[in-house]
Amino acid sequence: MKKKVISAILAAALATGVIAGSAVSALAADADLNGTTIEFWHSMGGVNGEAMDYLVQKFNSENEYGITVNAQYQGEYDDTINKLKSAQIGNMGADLVQIYDIGTRFMIDSGWIVPMQDLIDNDGYDVSKIEPNIAAYYTVDSRLYSMPFNSSTPILYYNKDMFTAAGVAEAPTSLAGIADVAEALTGNGGAGEAISLGIYGWFFEQLLAKQGLQYVDNGNGREEAATKVVFDENGGALNILNQWKTLYDAGYAPNVGRGGDSGLTDFAAGKSAMTLGSTASLKQILKDVNGKFEVGTAYFPSVTDADQGGVSIGGASLWALNNEDAAKQAATWKFVEFLVSAESQAYWNAQTGYFPVTTDAHEEQIFKDNIAEYPQFQTAIDQLHDSAPEYAGALMSVFPEARQIVETNIENMLNGVSTPEESVAAMAKDINASIEDYNLLNE
Amino acid sequence: MKKKPSLLERTRAYGFLLPCILIFAIFLFYPFFKTIFLSLYKTNKMGQAKLFVGIGNYMDLLTSSSFYNSLKVTLIFVVIVVVGSMAIGLLGAVLCNKAFPGIRAFSTAYALPMAIASSSAAMIFKIILHPSVGILNKLTGLNINWVSDPKYALVCVAILTAWLNSGINFLYFSAGLGNIDESIYERASVDGASPIQQFFHLTLPGLSPIMFYTLVVNIIQAFQSFGQVKILTQGGPGESTNLIVYSIYRDAFFNYRFGSAAAQSVILFVIVMILTLVMFKIEKKGVKY
Repeated sequence: MKKKVISAILAAALATGVIAGSAVSALAADADLNGTTIEFWHSMGGVNGEAMDYLVQKFNSENEYGITVNAQYQGEYDDTINKLKSAQIGNMGADLVQIYDIGTRFMIDSGWIVPMQDLIDNDGYDVSKIEPNIAAYYTVDSRLYSMPFNSSTPILYYNKDMFTAAGVAEAPTSLAGIADVAEALTGNGGAGEAISLGIYGWFFEQLLAKQGLQYVDNGNGREEAATKVVFDENGGALNILNQWKTLYDAGYAPNVGRGGDSGLTDFAAGKSAMTLGSTASLKQILKDVNGKFEVGTAYFPSVTDADQGGVSIGGASLWALNNEDAAKQAATWKFVEFLVSAESQAYWNAQTGYFPVTTDAHEEQIFKDNIAEYPQFQTAIDQLHDSAPEYAGALMSVFPEARQIVETNIENMLNGVSTPEESVAAMAKDINASIEDYNLLNE
Repeated sequence: MKKKPSLLERTRAYGFLLPCILIFAIFLFYPFFKTIFLSLYKTNKMGQAKLFVGIGNYMDLLTSSSFYNSLKVTLIFVVIVVVGSMAIGLLGAVLCNKAFPGIRAFSTAYALPMAIASSSAAMIFKIILHPSVGILNKLTGLNINWVSDPKYALVCVAILTAWLNSGINFLYFSAGLGNIDESIYERASVDGASPIQQFFHLTLPGLSPIMFYTLVVNIIQAFQSFGQVKILTQGGPGESTNLIVYSIYRDAFFNYRFGSAAAQSVILFVIVMILTLVMFKIEKKGVKY
């Protein structure tokens, strides 16, 4: 039996190599697409998964080329990219795959993909339809590498009833501003805590972008692969952590745990007056609150009100894989084009709360109805339009690991294990070591 | 006079062993040696061995405070889980050893954790332990952040695991109790032994063979705990619940650092092997068959 446990552990350590495909194949003409089947891997579960299935079925029954899309739910974003790494042995993987924002650098460097720009150029598709601040994230060397599909930004959710009771007219615009109104909210407002602030790496990245500062060198990892972090040198990280700790020490922002959703429960339960969350959580929050109080939305806060920056997007995009099959590649493009069409995007937005990635979706009736029903969503759109491409955010191959490191060190700071200065130093040291290793081994 | 066995007869046994050996070779020996091989390399993003570093991965681990922390929390975790799950299982089995109405319902309840997947149990505990809407804080009136406070997180995960593992222990101990001859209790009663004396001098020694077996299984099972950590704490807060198996998972499938993960696996293997050897040594002295 001891062997059993050992073998289990050993087997876990055994996922091995992958051989990357190469070379861009020529695109086939529309004519011979009949009967082509493409594999599509995605990470949309729950309500979002149902909306995805609906779109796929719609395409399968309505497309005039005879293309069949075989959509497969592969688990969460992490699972999908990990499965892709394993499946790339012998091209047994997908033709189109949905990869999260922080997998972008990895996918570009992987050598498995056809840049979306090639498919776009081939078809003469009008890229200007895509929201520029969304396209900016996936554009590297002025080429759009993947097609944005489900994009979101974080926003501040607040309990309007509590704000009224506390006599606070406006939602705060910065972490410092949150501290200013916190006493009123917990006093007359009746809140248990001013803000339920989940420990989430994405929020840290956004707070950095809101200061207009960069995360890594080489143009935030966009001109060339990053070699080290710069948030320690430019002081951005320390600003965030100091302000975070101030809120925590005063009891305004207690530790509600790790992850993007960890603050939502307290908010929906009417305990906290504010929370930070993705726009994609709007539907869920409204459902959980269920009319108990009025939910307001505001821009994602900066660190101090003097900050000049913007938010970047999160979510995922669609990557075309190079399987050296011209027909499949052409079919993949047809499907992508369908997914980002105004009609599909309006439907997708209404069902999920992700942005419509194309501006022409705003003209669709279904979009107009949705925004009339959920006026809170307008905040997200305005915030996106108020940002600028230069705050598109960093690209880094080791981003998933970096996020974990950031979260661990924020946790250590809140729990009094380390000071903000020590936490920033530890973050920088660990992430730099990981970048260095990666660059050494993956030249 | 005995006839000398033919070649076929002499080698036949190996033929029967062949399928088993093949399965072992593919699923045990090959991964085992591959792991040792990988532990000597640094791997690239695809998990391919790329740079030979010799014992470099081991040196990194042995000088890393994070790894010692993993070992420490794993040991604390294993102790809590093994003691807790065996105590709950034993208590349940002793209580259910008497015949009374409704005994089946109680037995089922005590054995039930066996049937619950660790991940789904962790999801339920996540809600129970939630600081603001969880039932535990509501009922006790406490305001403790169970899984986000490093003081409580490890204990919470360990107690959950102890409860999960107690079901199978209950079953083992129930079977063990059934094997103890009733008549020795009668004789002890006649001699004037109290129920407590009977428990320590008759029940426990009578259970010792099965006790040893459950101990070994429990220790190994506790070392393997993964789903609870993944769902409840992801190794946090800080690294206070970063059990070694979770740390291996993170390194291998999250950071794609198979070399380090393989080295940790090898170290875990050595620890479990030493523990098992020590236990079998002790068995020779302590267990009465």
